[in-house]
Amino acid sequence: MATIGLLLTGCGPVAGSGPQSNQLAGDQTFRFPINNDIGTLDPAQLNAEVDSEFAINLFNGLLKFDNRYNIVPDIAERMPDVSVDGLTYTFKLRKDVKFSNGDPVTAKDFMYSWDRAAAVQGPYGSNLSRIVGYEEVTARDATVKHLSGLSAPDDYTFVVQLSQPTGYFLTEVAAYTLTTAVVAQKVVDKEPDTWWTKPETLIGTGPFKMVARTPKQSLDFEAVENWWGTPKPTLKKVHVDVIESLSSAIAKYEQGGYDTVGYGGMSTLPAEDVLRIQGGPKKDELHLIPKSRTTWVSFNFTKGPFRDRTGPAKDLRQAFNLAIDRKKLVEVACARGTTCAVANGGLISKGLKGYVGDAKDPLAAFDPTKARGLLKGADPDGSKTSALTYWTNPSELNKAVAENLQSQWQENLGVHVDIQTVERQQFFQRQEKFEFILARTGWQADYDHPQDWFDNLFITGAGNSADGYSNAQLDALVTMANAKQLEEARRDYEQAAKIMIDDVRYIPLYYTVGQFLFKPYLKGAGSNNFQDYYWNGIQILQH
Amino acid sequence: MLTRGTLSYLGQRLAFLAFTAIAVSSLVFLGVHQLPGNAFLSDRRIDPNALAALLHHYHLDLPLLEQYRLFVIGILHGDLGESLVNRGVKITPLLLREATVSAEVGAAALVVTIGLGMVLGVVAAVRHNTVVDYVATTTAVVGFSMPNFVIASLLVVVFAVWLYNTTGGAFYYELGWHGTHGNLSQIPVPAFALGFPYASIVARLTRASMLDVIGQDYVRTARAKGLPERIVIMRHALRNALIPVVSVLGPLVVGIITGSVVIENIFGIPGLGKEFVTSILNRDYNIVIGVFTVYAVLIGLANLLVDMLYTAIDPRIHY
Repeated sequence: MATIGLLLTGCGPVAGSGPQSNQLAGDQTFRFPINNDIGTLDPAQLNAEVDSEFAINLFNGLLKFDNRYNIVPDIAERMPDVSVDGLTYTFKLRKDVKFSNGDPVTAKDFMYSWDRAAAVQGPYGSNLSRIVGYEEVTARDATVKHLSGLSAPDDYTFVVQLSQPTGYFLTEVAAYTLTTAVVAQKVVDKEPDTWWTKPETLIGTGPFKMVARTPKQSLDFEAVENWWGTPKPTLKKVHVDVIESLSSAIAKYEQGGYDTVGYGGMSTLPAEDVLRIQGGPKKDELHLIPKSRTTWVSFNFTKGPFRDRTGPAKDLRQAFNLAIDRKKLVEVACARGTTCAVANGGLISKGLKGYVGDAKDPLAAFDPTKARGLLKGADPDGSKTSALTYWTNPSELNKAVAENLQSQWQENLGVHVDIQTVERQQFFQRQEKFEFILARTGWQADYDHPQDWFDNLFITGAGNSADGYSNAQLDALVTMANAKQLEEARRDYEQAAKIMIDDVRYIPLYYTVGQFLFKPYLKGAGSNNFQDYYWNGIQILQH
Repeated sequence: MLTRGTLSYLGQRLAFLAFTAIAVSSLVFLGVHQLPGNAFLSDRRIDPNALAALLHHYHLDLPLLEQYRLFVIGILHGDLGESLVNRGVKITPLLLREATVSAEVGAAALVVTIGLGMVLGVVAAVRHNTVVDYVATTTAVVGFSMPNFVIASLLVVVFAVWLYNTTGGAFYYELGWHGTHGNLSQIPVPAFALGFPYASIVARLTRASMLDVIGQDYVRTARAKGLPERIVIMRHALRNALIPVVSVLGPLVVGIITGSVVIENIFGIPGLGKEFVTSILNRDYNIVIGVFTVYAVLIGLANLLVDMLYTAIDPRIHY
């Protein structure tokens, strides 16, 4: 366990720490598997993590997150100037940026790309929602095509006008979902739906370009010659296979067929493989990296015994919460803690902005005596808790977690809770209608800002709320915080998180941990909470 | 051999096959749209505007009958539509390529099934009640009783992992698939895993029917004429012993086709079998329909081929 703890503290360990020569290998081809083919590479349509992991190497926006997850300028020359009222952002563009076909990138290209991203309404189109004119462009049967809040006074100046002060705007601009990346009008206009599917028309600004694709089988990329940015790519080629079975992919990695497993958003490896490698001679190749996903149990605040925010319902929630020994849960359900870590610092995952701090969430305590006392007071005759069901969607992990929760509630609380599994799609549909009294809930952050969690999950009527909870005080705090820059908003978000803790809104369970395998000869490969390290920083050493 | 009767029989069967394909795809089409959920649902609930745009793009906002009409028109043009999950991916070429991959592995598996099965069966029958017979029969029983995924996993452990480690990477089975047609070295191991269980069936059948035939009068006559034993077995006995074997070939081919669902996933082969699983898990309606249809056609064709094979082996049978 100690070694795991050690590994977890590192923020995205860099591969290649073993004793290796620093000489580059002759063949600079980076090879890895993915278990689901990309859905799209169109920046306006990106959806799954795997889409983004590729697109960040093919496209650029004004800003980006670096490997250490700081926001840094990308095509912008420097960070933008923000007006005093927080409404106007002025970006100065680099003058040497070129598309992979040689065309220069100007502010007009950004205007086109942002207008299009808003109009297309991909999964992350709402990242542009605070820009003046967004409603007009996205209205049903809209005729307006241009976001009136965007302007380009000259070729290398791009001005963005917001409808209200938005502290998380730059986070959205830099987010790896790339809604704000620049695309080439020349190719996009011609084939709006399919331009990104073919190497000839997949024109980006990134250090790599696609050279071949066989859907559901393989993807090939090559470094762009004389690329404008830094560092210049060392890798010459990137080859990716789509392999459904993770165990087969790992076996092929062990054959020397891949340089890494875990890149491209498939960092949940089978527990038996992870434990085998951890106990074997190649254990240094295994890296456990915290990801941006949290899982908890949500109560129903619209009906049932847990409904009321205060009073006996709250005691009942606390009883169910304190009866869970999370250390035991993680040990049993998460392959001895290799696939997840105890969530004891709030719902916002460890390593993200808004994380409350190690062991700072009192809801993560384990106190069976107090739990039984609370239960006795809130439900003396056991009638409220006699027919409870815990709902989840099927997966090995979910099942193991559900069974462990069930046994802990039985053992520590003396309450029997049934387990019901409903197929994934149906699960989300029913959860959306607040049909479950107790259910598994999870969230994978879209970008590193507390607003993502509060607006999507925690405020009254949030689009992804799983519990129907409502607290005006929390809503007010979040509205206030969202308008401020993050440094000033942090306290408000923390305050809002505390309200949820005081209300015993959730039963915290675990943070997801990604498992990666890196060959010792890889240098510069790694992953942070959100994304894999950029390909242009990776080198293959002689081996 | 190809008489007018045969041709018209063939025509009837093909017409029936086309009808089956349309019936199967229609049933799957209607069935799959009754399933709860859709390909666009996930942990992150999609923005209503974005969802509407997606549904519209795939005609999923139209009434079911209208969707069905568009679907049938598409099918008649050989167009199975576009993947719902992997945007811009046309299904017809995708499935054709995947069917090629599966066919390569499947054909090799069939060679294993028939070749290995017949050799084991004939050897066991000729060396009846000797050690050779026991070894061959035991092999067949083992192959018959082990599910293909167990065999596949064992083969991976032995050929991909153990062999790699012991030879230091000099000689091993490489998992996965190169290009459209794969490497020649990537086919035998999965083909063996896929074909071996059925080879056992063929072996048992061949052995039994060979024993039966070897005891017949005409074989004794052939021997009495002084023909070499090789000719007696190959030309006189085996040919007649094959008829019961051919009759199970249809179900065997179907078994190989469906078995590929498991095998392709274990060996990382990008074929139709792998698609079968992925598309259902992803709720990729259009691909699910396409895969089912292709499977129906393949199974129909396999049965037709076997029926035609009868006439080649037994002159008494004709259509």
